[in-house]
Amino acid sequence: MSKKLNVDGILLFEQPFARVPFENYRKVFRTTQRHVERDLKAVQSTTADLVKQSSSTGVSSEAAIQSIDAMISTVENLKRKLSELHETAGNPTQDVIRERLQHLATVENIPTANDPEFGRWADTRLDRWLVDWALRNGKEKTARMIAKEKHIETLVDIDLFSDIKRIEGALSRHSCTEALAWCSENKTALRKMKSTLEFDLRLQEYIELARAGRRQEAIDYSKKYLVSWQETHLDQIQQALALLAVRPDTSYGRYKRLYDPTRWPNLIKSFRLAIYSLNTLPTEPLLHLSLYAGLASLKLPACYSHATKNVDCPVCDGEAGSGSQGLGKLAEEVPYSHHANSTIVCYITGKIMDADNMPMAFPDNGYVYSRGVCPSDVYFSVSMLTAAKAMEEMSLKNDGMVTCPRSKATCKFSALRRVYIS
Amino acid sequence: MDGPLKELSKLEKLTANASGKGKVTISDSLDSLLQSLREARDAIQPGTVSPDLLLQLSQTVEVKKKEVDDRQKEIYNSISRLGKALDKKFPAVLPSYPDVFTSSTSVTALERTIALHFLRTGQFDTASVFLQEAGLNIPAESRAQFIDLHRILQALRNQDIGPALGWVAKNRNFLRDRGSPLEFHLHRSQYIRLLLSTHPPNVMGALAYTREHMGPFYAENEDECKRLSGCMAYLPLSRLQTSPYADLASPSLHFDLEPLFAKEYCASLGMSRQVPLRVVGDIGGGGALSRIEKGRKVMRERKSEWSQADELPIEIPLPPENRYHSIFACPVSKEQSTEANPPMMMGCGHVVTKDSLHKLSKPGGYDPLDRRVKCPYCPAESTHSSALRVYF
Repeated sequence: MSKKLNVDGILLFEQPFARVPFENYRKVFRTTQRHVERDLKAVQSTTADLVKQSSSTGVSSEAAIQSIDAMISTVENLKRKLSELHETAGNPTQDVIRERLQHLATVENIPTANDPEFGRWADTRLDRWLVDWALRNGKEKTARMIAKEKHIETLVDIDLFSDIKRIEGALSRHSCTEALAWCSENKTALRKMKSTLEFDLRLQEYIELARAGRRQEAIDYSKKYLVSWQETHLDQIQQALALLAVRPDTSYGRYKRLYDPTRWPNLIKSFRLAIYSLNTLPTEPLLHLSLYAGLASLKLPACYSHATKNVDCPVCDGEAGSGSQGLGKLAEEVPYSHHANSTIVCYITGKIMDADNMPMAFPDNGYVYSRGVCPSDVYFSVSMLTAAKAMEEMSLKNDGMVTCPRSKATCKFSALRRVYIS
Repeated sequence: MDGPLKELSKLEKLTANASGKGKVTISDSLDSLLQSLREARDAIQPGTVSPDLLLQLSQTVEVKKKEVDDRQKEIYNSISRLGKALDKKFPAVLPSYPDVFTSSTSVTALERTIALHFLRTGQFDTASVFLQEAGLNIPAESRAQFIDLHRILQALRNQDIGPALGWVAKNRNFLRDRGSPLEFHLHRSQYIRLLLSTHPPNVMGALAYTREHMGPFYAENEDECKRLSGCMAYLPLSRLQTSPYADLASPSLHFDLEPLFAKEYCASLGMSRQVPLRVVGDIGGGGALSRIEKGRKVMRERKSEWSQADELPIEIPLPPENRYHSIFACPVSKEQSTEANPPMMMGCGHVVTKDSLHKLSKPGGYDPLDRRVKCPYCPAESTHSSALRVYF
């Protein structure tokens, strides 16, 4: 029985996996670009100055040598910075991208879900999801432990989440500096996303100046950082300017809201949203998404009825009496699965009954079990994990008698009735 | 991943420090700029510097700067192409279910599930770090059970069935009720090992083993026991492998003890045979989520809510090993059976739900139970009262 892997369905989860190192690489490139621009522009203007000077007053050899020495050291420095950046950041990041793309390529080439290779791949995927979950839920030690023990450090994004933690920590201490630095690092991408995070941060810094009564500084700050947003945020800017006339303990709605300290947790939320969406990370842990879909695919009314619970079913994991404390509890939050056709599973063997494995009913009480494998097959299935005997085999061992494991009713095998499920 | 990998290779080539054939790298350009600067410095004579020299230097700087800028632009374009290749490979964005699993009971349930996952998969160090970090408590007793499980599995891996047999002795009633072959399979593995592990084969040792340990299993496994003795005629291993008893020479006879033992051990603790997080994750991450999202999208486009909000709009295909419950959908009404509307088997063996059975009954007779029902799937006709409620 081979089932082909649904590669599109698998890859739906993997965009962030490839995107995070890619964004990291973009960041490395931007740093490179900044160094190149700044240093070469400096050299360029130095030579331009020399030319200008020599055409007007002339340049002394001492001055020229001094200038050229300065340029040599600038260029040497630039060269060193670029190669360092490549060695310590650019190259390793490219390696991570390659490793991850190759990891995804493996799953594209696995023929069926029964392949042991897929088992290993899915184990790693679950480990990755657990790391992602742990990082998002502030369980950093657990995340690091899994990554180390499973040797998947390059397949998880611990650094990204440490960054998030650092910046959010600063915001919760009412400092915007770190978040603003992140905004400037990702200016283009944020603009493309139409994110207003930077404005919100600037506005907050302004509000804090107003709160502290540092009016002149606030006015200077607004001129420097807020005015440039007037095309899109004119209303808010005007409100902010009027804020200077209002004391922080005001009860007047719109200004009270600006002074409201709950703006800080909201900033943390907006920051988190921005950094997630920049890296195409979902807002919820990947584990939540896969569990939601997986549990909904499995959930049936039968999972919640004592008589039909199945210990192997992940949704039916509740302990008798106390109710579920695990996945079954989570499953309460997801919809039931939908089925248009019958599937009859044998209570004894757990195998699906069909024309080759007929359902047989006890004539008096209607309990249905599968007829079971032909005895000749039994000997060769040494690896059969169950010796639970379906009807035919049971009868062969018991002089043609069969016993219902649920009702303990007994009858002759030949008296069982065939059940037809269309 | 061919597309993105190809673009990545180009990017790697472009940014490599080693200068390739024909291509001028940024580091080459900077080197040549440095050389020009040094040459200019060396060319300077005492006194006023000639304007030509400075002009020339300025031009060189312009040329080299342009070289570097061009190269940077190439890299920039290469990065964009890689980005586009990724966009193409991942056309869909993950959905957002912001409120799912956020209640405190759900958070605890998930943490508990994860803690048990670590224990069950033998990651004991990770488990203890996690339990501490989550402030969660798993009773020492159930932790000990998992440690015990992994100790026994480790022993099996080392061909030592002793610890497994020790556990079996304590759980014999449970195993008997389940009709578990575990104990017999443990002894069978040991017996085959005795037969095959030495040269010449230790037939006497093996026979002694059967006499000592396998007697009680003879009645239940008569045929298999006969085969176990019969295979002695085909020793050693190389002959056994080509004999009618080749299955007994297979290593899976021993390897399969581990999953079998784990399954029985977990069942005795009321746990599933597969690792539950893997099962659910594989289903959810193997196409279910994308199917659910597609179904929802279709629903939105049609601007119709699906009739039952607490049921998925589409069917998610599941592999046979993940069908844990019987589902009976009435072939007449298409409705799933319920306790109030149970499946009923007619005289001919075909099954419909009770409601459909009523609808199919022909009028006539005083007692509705005497009414006759014509099966919609075969020519047979039977009485309403002869229909039997079936339990799957």
